[in-house]
Amino acid sequence: MASTLEVGAQERTYEESALRLDSGLGGLRIFRGVSDSLVLSIGTVRRVDVAALVASSPKAVSEAKVFEGNYRQGVWTAAAGLAVWAAAFGIDHIGTNHPVPFGITATTMVLVTYGAMRIDTAKRALSKAIWWYNRDLKR
Amino acid sequence: MKSRIFLALLIGAFVTAAKAGAQTVGHAASPVTTSESGAAGISGRNAPARDSARAYDTQALRFESRWGGADIIRGGKGPVIGTVGWFRDSGIEKLLESSPQAVTEAREFKSENFRGSLIGGLGALTVVTGAIITGNSSNNASSPILIVAGAGAMFWGAQHLNRGFSALSRALWYYNRDLKR
Repeated sequence: MASTLEVGAQERTYEESALRLDSGLGGLRIFRGVSDSLVLSIGTVRRVDVAALVASSPKAVSEAKVFEGNYRQGVWTAAAGLAVWAAAFGIDHIGTNHPVPFGITATTMVLVTYGAMRIDTAKRALSKAIWWYNRDLKR
Repeated sequence: MKSRIFLALLIGAFVTAAKAGAQTVGHAASPVTTSESGAAGISGRNAPARDSARAYDTQALRFESRWGGADIIRGGKGPVIGTVGWFRDSGIEKLLESSPQAVTEAREFKSENFRGSLIGGLGALTVVTGAIITGNSSNNASSPILIVAGAGAMFWGAQHLNRGFSALSRALWYYNRDLKR
């Protein structure tokens, strides 16, 4: 009987608390439990504390910090790259039509690639953080 | 003589009784062993928790998105057991077959992923066609229409792909939940 209750409690814990990651077009979202309630929306402007969300699992916290150290920086670096190119494109098209200088295009490519790599690192770390958090849930 | 025989019988009876007693103690010791196995039973009750953690460590899945696709990974650092993305579903239904709800979500992933790949692919093709027509400097009014329509189709396709990855995320969540505990 007791063990049945224990199993029930364990299932309830996972059902209620386990997190999952969902990436929308505007950013990342973290949902909790079978009710699929949104607990965190990760955009590019506002800083979010993912480490606090997974604080109960030390390994999850360390991965969450890797995420926090890379995600917004990656997004902003890629955005800066695109902004530089857009500015150059705009300036060059004010008067006579000139192509965007190769140096600007190359800089944009480098910045976008670097930003994308950091976003990739961040997303991988977040996936691990959630995995560790769910693993360390009371069973 | 009779008294000696009687004494011998008495000693014999005593020794036999002592042996029997010892055997009884020996049998009585079994419950002690049982109680030890009861202790083992307690650790046996802990064992499912350990087993469950082990089961999670070795079997739980997650995915890491990578350049438009995603790797399905078993464990925290574990091996990549499949890749999903552009027209690829990596037999995800079969992989998750132990959990019925996960399979339902996996089917949704497959259908959304196919739709997204198809619409996005056609959109990209349309954009490239429009760009080539524009690049050839042919004054064709259809080129901006092609580019805008293609970009729209790419956006629509991206939404389907996105819905697909949401379903994949839910599928893995259900699969991990239904792992043997």
